[in-house]
Order: sequence, then structure tokens, then C-alpha cells
Amino acid sequence: MSEILENPRGGCVLAGINSVLGAIYRVCPILHSGPGCCMQTCAAEQGQSGNKSSAFVSSVSIPSTNMLEREVVFGGIKKLKTTIQGAIDIMDADAFFVLTGCTAGIIGDDIVSAVSEYQDKGYKVYPIETPGFAGDSNLGYEVIWNAFIDQVIKKDVPRDEKLVNIFGIVPYHDPFWSGNLEEISRILRGLGLKVNTFFTEHQGIETIENCSGAALNIIVNPWLFGGPAKKFEEKFGVPSIRYPGLPIGATDTGRFVRQVAEALKLDEKLVNDFLEKEEDYVYSYLAQSIGALSWKRFAVVGDSASAVGITRYLANDYSFTPKLVIISEPVFGQSNKERIEKEITDLEYAVPPKVVFTADQFEINRTLAEEEDITLIVGSSNEREAASLKGVQCIAATFPLKDRLIFNRAIAGYRGSLTLTEDLYDNL
Amino acid sequence: MAQTYSGVRESKPGRVNDYGGESIKTAEAFKKGCLKRADRSFAQGLQCQQINSMSALMSLEDAVFIAHSPQGCVGCTSLAVDMYRVGQAHRGVKHIKNPHIIVTNLDQKSVIFGGENKLRDSVNLAIERYNPKLIFVFASCASGIIGDDIDAICSDIQKEVEALIIPIHCEGFKSKICASGFDAAFISIQKYILKDTKLPKDENLVNLFAPVSISYADQVEMERMLGLLGIKTNYIPFYSNLEKIKQIPAAAASTSICKVFADEFMKTLEEKYDIPYSHTVMPIGIRNTDKWFRGIAKVMGKEKEAEEIIAREHERVQPLVDKIKARLQGKRVFICGGTGRSFAAAALIDDFGMKLVGLETPTYDDDAQVDIEYLNGIHGDYVVDIANMQPFEQVNLVKKLKPDVFIGVPEWAAKLGIPTTHVLDMKRPTMGYDGLIFLGNKIADQLSNPGFNVKLSKHVRLPYKDSWYDEDAFKYIVGGEENV
Repeated sequence: MSEILENPRGGCVLAGINSVLGAIYRVCPILHSGPGCCMQTCAAEQGQSGNKSSAFVSSVSIPSTNMLEREVVFGGIKKLKTTIQGAIDIMDADAFFVLTGCTAGIIGDDIVSAVSEYQDKGYKVYPIETPGFAGDSNLGYEVIWNAFIDQVIKKDVPRDEKLVNIFGIVPYHDPFWSGNLEEISRILRGLGLKVNTFFTEHQGIETIENCSGAALNIIVNPWLFGGPAKKFEEKFGVPSIRYPGLPIGATDTGRFVRQVAEALKLDEKLVNDFLEKEEDYVYSYLAQSIGALSWKRFAVVGDSASAVGITRYLANDYSFTPKLVIISEPVFGQSNKERIEKEITDLEYAVPPKVVFTADQFEINRTLAEEEDITLIVGSSNEREAASLKGVQCIAATFPLKDRLIFNRAIAGYRGSLTLTEDLYDNL
Repeated sequence: MAQTYSGVRESKPGRVNDYGGESIKTAEAFKKGCLKRADRSFAQGLQCQQINSMSALMSLEDAVFIAHSPQGCVGCTSLAVDMYRVGQAHRGVKHIKNPHIIVTNLDQKSVIFGGENKLRDSVNLAIERYNPKLIFVFASCASGIIGDDIDAICSDIQKEVEALIIPIHCEGFKSKICASGFDAAFISIQKYILKDTKLPKDENLVNLFAPVSISYADQVEMERMLGLLGIKTNYIPFYSNLEKIKQIPAAAASTSICKVFADEFMKTLEEKYDIPYSHTVMPIGIRNTDKWFRGIAKVMGKEKEAEEIIAREHERVQPLVDKIKARLQGKRVFICGGTGRSFAAAALIDDFGMKLVGLETPTYDDDAQVDIEYLNGIHGDYVVDIANMQPFEQVNLVKKLKPDVFIGVPEWAAKLGIPTTHVLDMKRPTMGYDGLIFLGNKIADQLSNPGFNVKLSKHVRLPYKDSWYDEDAFKYIVGGEENV
């Protein structure tokens, strides 16, 4: 059930899937959809993620059947087959994923049998039924991983006790996904682990195929990936832990590290030495600019993972005053909401901020306008209007980000917290 | 009156969207009526018409935009939203606003039971929140296929409310030509706002139709040029409002900045409100700017004044153009763009003495024929690819033709190491005599300092197999067998 929304953040289920596929090296989606879905899905996610998009294929370079009236009336399977054949012939991809838009979904084209012809010939082509009306891009993230679990990931891959999989950071839907995954990898490698991020360092379909050999799945998100994690454990026997947010700064990243260390029973000395070194690194910088940032009463508007991470860092580590946190993505399930709320309100010293769940821009603006005391809004590009009207500082640091260029910038971990703090400097 | 135009551009006879060949043969074939409609058995994504309908109107004041669709169909509004915000910054607006876009968020349930209630609730929400003057309701593939009758629903709601409720039929699957979405928007403006109401004429007023892709600098330049003729400009619908739209019938004449924007609508305005119009070219480059300016001057009976102004402007910019020409003379160019921009860019390069080797444009029709014949006269034979982007064809051609410079969306040619530049800069000057100099310097500078693309191409590969570059670029264009 999808709610009516003003200025929704991100696209449909198809958009979420396209974001994931776009972030995997040398993987090519094939859209069996109306003529605009390639552009729409990419503009919804990649297009609002700090102005970078998948370099392999994205938007109008994605193969598409561009279904018109003729296909709507007579079915589009013939067109789909010639499109798959063309893609196989000319695209230099390691795997193809056939995705359906609303049009194919409503008329009920049987893509599974169409694709099986090419699978029988030995091509890596996978069908995923993904009509846009099924839900939003968060759902897309789970749907694509379920599809990987069902169709792509191999069974009986030898266990590597040092290998971990990172889930929960949704490419492009987190504008800092690249940098955040790089920083989290750096941290985990510092603990002697090998890391599948799936989306950085040109990790490709082979990484996905063999990720069942990991010792642990680490979900870095307060609520996404519950379903796939369960399925992953049932099918491949890999357990999961959930870090309920994005770890930002020394305190939360330390908590993240200890949680991983405990799950994998890592050597205590190794972990402590690592933490000490990293914390020293962060504080040696923070010590150089004490008082450079004026004290702020702040509001955060963002997806739950970013909102949790940013709020906890600014409140616990930077001693800013949290007043209001708006979770700007539809979150389903009461226990999920409670987990998010707990993370935001269970702070070390600060008085807990108000937590509001709404993905609707009108409600977000109204809630911000009613909050009298704030002097800083950390939100998306959409919050610039509310900040301008209130005359307060605005840092665009959550999705959607349309007015910044983001490559490998991180806000997660130790180093990311320093970058985020740099961004907060306003000199006003 | 002729049969009512449906807004679907394919409905016009002779229009072709899938074709590739040599330009001289192409023009001959079209003349003989031998250029047949075809298709691509393999293609990459297109821009749907809903994207154009929404972007055309997104900057209107006092409006709410309702997409009767799943959430994904407002994806491309991110581009229009960005243009709206940047446009406000350029216009000196202090508190930069977001446009109000509401998505009805059609879901599994709506697909089965219909989305009428969601649409009604969305309209009510729009009124409750903003009490707007205008509420646009955009159809989608999903709403079209499940058969929601948005006209009936909107007309029923209209009985109760003051805001104008305007349904727009821009279902993506109805057209391969995204410019159809512009037509769909204008058809609804006529039907629901203007409604054949005639106004007393303002003899100096000209409707200047501008899409989202026109920078503020370009607006200022167009208004400056028309101002030289003593013309008042009603700049619509970009950055305008209901009052300005209602003023449309009062104008003495109409013209457009883009070839495929309001061209059909201007015909309607002539039929229904006796407003003559000038439909020429996009004013990019000296030849096109002259042509565009003469066009509207003629309709306004100001040809003599226009010639004087053109002479003066030439005198002013020609020395600057000559300087740029000295840097660009003889360079070989491949151009890819939308209908307006591609032909405008092709005319522009003649100002600088450059040679056209390849032209990619979305549609071939009577209008295109005029331009192609003109370009054939200057450049002789070059390759014509009738395609809406289709980067796989583009890179195949670019790699074979090895142009000195590529003008258009830079993403793919850049990875081949070719200097790239763009004439679709929605935030900076492009048009008129002043825009020409900015554009010329941009091309010349990028051509003389190509390091970024050269180095990029050594590290980044396009997603195609090497074997593709040896194949016929038009291999996947099927049907239309009579085509040469």
C-alpha cells in the first residue's frame, strides 16, 4: 500500500533495482517497460545522488523495449526477445537482468519463459518481475537481493572465516554510498577482515555469486534487509548482525566495530589497538579546531540510517543540541519504527529530540517551520526552502542531493565524521 | 477546421523516428515519399512524453502538479525541479521554492480496483495545502492501461472547486516522440484554461513559448532582441503564471524558442484566436538567429526595422565570430541533440566554418527536410541518424567518423577521447547574438584543450563489445524496407 506523497524521495521498486545494478561492475539491466522508465528510474535515484550516475549503463544507455501501444495491446514478448538478443550481441556485460515496468506488469508478459531461452543457451540473463507500482526504491533494494539469493548466488561455496558481506547501504539512495562503503571496508580490513561491499572497487557479478562463502552478513541499516537476511541464512547458513544506522564518528563506529568483533570473536587486543589508533586519528583533528563551529540546535531530515547516524554523531560526539529528527522515508512495521526511535532518543548526555515519521514534503516543511528553536537543518536539497524561510543554516547531506557533486566523500566511520564536520563549517 | 490533433506526434504523416543513412540520399528519399516508418529491434531507453509534459509546466506559479502514477514516474521531475530552483536563483529570488509535486502513488490495489480515490484525495490535498489556482493532473502508463478516466474524474471534481483542474494525457506508451508531451500540455491549456475566450488585442504583444531548457540568460537575450523591435514579450509557460497564460489570446503574434515546442499549439492559436505565428528555428548561431528574428518581425510587420537591427548586430558580433572562426575553421563535427538543438547546432557550425560529418536527431519530417536540404547544400554528404539518443549507434558512428569535435550530450563521445561540448546548457547562455559568442568560445576552448577526454578514454571503457564497432551502426533498424 503506497501513500499519496508530495515531492517523494526517490523512485519506484524498479528504480531501486536499477540503482543496485548500476552500482555493480559490468552488469546490464534490460528494461521491459514503457519508453520513459530508463530515464525516470535513473533520474529518481542516480540523478538525485550528488550528480553522479552509473558509468557502465544508465538512463538512455540502458537497453529497453520501449513498449508502445502495439505492445500494450498485443504483448511485448517478441520485442523483448530481440532486445535481449541485441544486448547479448553488443553489450560487453558479465550478466543481464530483465526487469519489468508497470506496462509489462499490468499486461502480464511472461518474461520468465522469454528469458529461459537465453539461459538455456548459457547466457547469464535473469528475469525479475518488478512493476513500478509494487512499491518504492527501498523495496527494490530488497527485491533485487531476494532475486540474487534465488537465482544468482551459488550454494556450497567454501566458507571463508574472514569474509564479510555489507548490506543496508543502498547505492545512490545514499548519496555517500561509495565513500561510506569505502570507509567501512577500510575499518573492517583494519580488523583483518575481507569485505564484500558489492558496489566498490569494481566488485562484480562474481562477488555476488560467491558471497555465500562469507562468515557474516553485516546489515548497516535500522530496518531494511530483514527479509533477505533471513532467506540468506536459511539458504546459505550465513548469519546476520544489524547495526541499526550509519555509524558516524568515534563513538558509534567503535560500537559498530565491537559488534562485528563480538559476532566474529575477533582478537580483543587487535580490536582495542585498532580502536585506539582510529580514535587518536579523529581526535587529533578535532583538537585542532575546537570552537570553530558555533553551537547549534539542530534538526535532521533524512532516511532512517542517515538520520540515526547524523543525529547520534552531532549529539553524542559533537555536543550539538538535537531538537527534531524527521525520518523522510516510508518505514513499514512498528518494531522497525521503534528501533529507529530508540537509536535517536537513546543518547549519552543530550535530551532526546522529537522524532517524526513522514516522507511528505509538506509535512516535513510544516514540522520544520513549527520547530522554533533550531539554528541548523541537516537535510536534503529539498530542505533548503524551509531553511531559507527560517533563516537557519542548511547542510544538504541526505538524499535527495541535487545541488552538490559527490564522488567518494564519506560521512560514515571515523574519516567520514571529519568530512561531515568540515561541511558544517559556516563562518557565519 | 481540420480533424482535432491528438497530441501524438506519430499521427502526422511522413514522420520517421528510426532511420540511418547518407544525408543526400535521405533527403531525396524523403522527397519522393520513400522514407518509411521503421523500428529498432534493439534499442536503448527513450524519454517518455510525460517527462516533457511535466517539465514544461513545472515552473508555473500557484500550481500543484499531480502525477497520477506510481512513485517512479516523477523521477525526471528532479531535472525540472533543479531547473526551477536554479532559475529562481538566476532571477534573484531570495527564498528559493520547491515546486509542489504530488504523486497519487498508484499501487497493486489501484491496478486492480482503479485509482480514482487516490486521485480525488490528491486533488483535495492540493487544495487544502496550497489553495492553488492551477492543478495539473498528469496521466501515466499505469493510469492509462488500468483505464482510469481522469477527464471524467477531474470534471466531476471541478464542479466543487475553484482551482482549475487540468488533466493532461501524456501516457508514456502512446508516443515514441517525447515532444508529444509538450503538445499534450498545450492541448489541455487550450481546452481547460483558454477555452476559446477571445480578448482585445494588444498590438505589441508577442507570445514567446519557451520550454524548461532555456536559461535565464537566453530569456533576457530573446526579450532584448524583441524589445529592439518595440515588442512586448509574454514569456510562457516557463516561469510564468495563470494570468500570463490567460493573456495568450491577446497577443498580436506568437513564436517559439524551440522547433518542437508549441508548434502545434501556435497553429491552434491561429485557427481559434486569429493569432499569426512564426515557426522557424531555434535562435542558435547567426543564420538561425537571423531567421528566427526575421520570422517574428515579418509577422509583426517590422521587417525593415529587423533588417536594420540584424545589420547592426552583425556588425557588432561578426568580428568576434571571425576570431572564433579562425580557431575552428575546417574542424569536423558530429552533432547529437533534440530536434531543435541538433539542427540549430548544425547551422551554428557554419558560422565558424566547421564541417558536418554526422547528425543525430530524433525525428525526420517536413520540418527536418528543410534543414537537411540546407545542410546538404553547405556540407555535402554526412551521416544522418534518426534516433532519440541511442548511444550504441552514436558511439559506433563517432568511432568510425572520427570527428574533431562532438557537439551534444558529452557522456559517451568523451569516453572515446573526442573533445565534446554541448549546446543544451540550460543554465548558461546559448542563444541569440550574444549566446553565439559564449558558445563559440566554449567550443573552441574545449577543442583546443581536450586533455580531460583524452586521458579519460585511456582509463574508461564504454559498455560495448569491440566487435560492435565493426558492425553497421544501423543494423537494428528494421522495417521500412523501401528505405534507401
